[in-house]
Amino acid sequence: MSKSRGPGASSPVNGKQGNDWDTRRKRKIADITHALSASPVDVAALRRMAISEGGLLTDELRCQVWPRLLNVPPHVLEQEPETVERENNKDYNQVLLDVQRSLRRFPPGMPDEQREGLQEELIDIILLVLKRNPQLHYYQGYHDIVVTFLLVLGERLATALVEKLSTHHLRDFMDPTMDNTKHILNYLMPIIERVNPEVHDFMQQAEVGTVFALSWLITWFGHVLSDFRHVVRLYDFFLACHPLMPIYFAAVIVLYREEEVLECECDMAMVHHLLSQIPQDLPYETLISRAGDLFVQFPPSELAREAASHDSTAASTFKDFDLASTQQRPDSVLRRRRRQKQAALERSAANAVVVVARPSAARRFVRLAVMGLTVALGAAALAVVNTALEWAPKLNFFP
Amino acid sequence: MAYAYLFKYIIIGDTGVGKSCLLLQFTDKRFQPVHDLTIGVEFGARMITIDGKQIKLQIWDTAGQESFRSITRSYYRGAAGALLVYDITRRDTFNHLTTWLEDARQHSNSNMVIMLIGNKSDLESRREVKKEEGEAFAREHGLIFMETSAKTASNVEEAFINTAKEIYEKIQEGVFDINNEANGIKIGPQHPTTNSTLSGSQGGQHAGGGCC
Repeated sequence: MSKSRGPGASSPVNGKQGNDWDTRRKRKIADITHALSASPVDVAALRRMAISEGGLLTDELRCQVWPRLLNVPPHVLEQEPETVERENNKDYNQVLLDVQRSLRRFPPGMPDEQREGLQEELIDIILLVLKRNPQLHYYQGYHDIVVTFLLVLGERLATALVEKLSTHHLRDFMDPTMDNTKHILNYLMPIIERVNPEVHDFMQQAEVGTVFALSWLITWFGHVLSDFRHVVRLYDFFLACHPLMPIYFAAVIVLYREEEVLECECDMAMVHHLLSQIPQDLPYETLISRAGDLFVQFPPSELAREAASHDSTAASTFKDFDLASTQQRPDSVLRRRRRQKQAALERSAANAVVVVARPSAARRFVRLAVMGLTVALGAAALAVVNTALEWAPKLNFFP
Repeated sequence: MAYAYLFKYIIIGDTGVGKSCLLLQFTDKRFQPVHDLTIGVEFGARMITIDGKQIKLQIWDTAGQESFRSITRSYYRGAAGALLVYDITRRDTFNHLTTWLEDARQHSNSNMVIMLIGNKSDLESRREVKKEEGEAFAREHGLIFMETSAKTASNVEEAFINTAKEIYEKIQEGVFDINNEANGIKIGPQHPTTNSTLSGSQGGQHAGGGCC
């Protein structure tokens, strides 16, 4: 995949095409403003712009667009702020310990006093969301997501958005165990296999697993990227897309590092170490575009069966596209899905046989042909948006 | 870099007891007062010498939070040594040792050498767990015991190296089947070659980048 990197694919955000990009940037700001002022607000256009080159461009725009992407009504700002008792709070000690250790996530030049104030707000947001949603469990890395919203939106708006996100996109990470998260990680290898069987086979041989991508997934890369601008750019993208998009982005990073991976010692520890050290100079715009392309070519519905065959526990819950996104569904839906689990269990055994029986070489050939036809930068954005809109109503984003 | 044996370790214990700081002190000889938390598992490596033999320690540092247990557990398998760490200034981290130990014993091979570590020994004024208590727990459960400070580096080398010595002795006694990699021990390459491009020097986190 990295071989397809060409000069034309490089991101103008890096400043290589200065004036040209300035013009397009100004036009995009105008477009976003226009979509925001439309009545009703043109959410589909906002999604497209959050995905396309440069994302939402400024934090001022993010403050207006992110709530729209999550369908959080503007009047949340008029609500009275709620406080949470810290004494005897079951999560307080853990959250405090983690927030104290998260200095790296604040802008380098920020005065200590200001940072400490934000850290207090960070603790308040987390404890409040947990208190209001007793079914959610705090996990280490959750604060990496919350801090991003806090720094962009301020406390009030961040609280509302994080709460919505926690009951949807992040829902599966907030179980008492990481079993469902492990299942989502199982989507990684099937994506890699479809694009680059050689990298896939190498990783399988090294038995590296997918835990190297765990912190990427559950923090939306907030834990591992040091430049805040890159983090918010990715958040623009993920907020506009299907909840499984971070996994596609993780796959794209691995594929982009094809050469390094194949040159690595074929050993679990070595490959894990290599992959978990994420390069800081990734061509984000190109990779975002590729992740979008892959999502369109290999939608979760197509991968669900293989992902399920990687584990034997949660697997059977996820038998098709609908089920593939259950993890981010409201709890009421989740409960219904669990009732269907037994039936799915019985089916999954038969499915596994079918997967094995298909001749893999032929499948790979077909895949490569498809790749050649559809890898058009940015072209996938519209399709991704359409997919996002397809599942969005199910998420009660547009009730 | 050529080695006679490779030993695989895991570091386990409650969140915030200093697992990653112990590893960093051992591999890089430095201390980070505010170390970001570990999500999932991280990896470090270093060469040591025992009985004139080069031994490579491959160390897996795990997340301490309970909810990650189902992920970190799979790394217990195939470990020859474990460092079970608590914080001498936090009684609850000591109280949880039994759970950690049960978990480790259940998911690892029975010969795994376990070193109990009471970390943060530099914070004497905030001590909540007496050294004698650590010693008693270790005696009762057949563990080796040490108090360490990742901050001052006190006993850090010893903790990692003494664990390796114990494993090495077990190999000499024939307790470990070294041909079974599931025991967390690997015999080094038969024909070691000197290769200057490898970076497996002492203290390096990157333990060599040779091709397979």
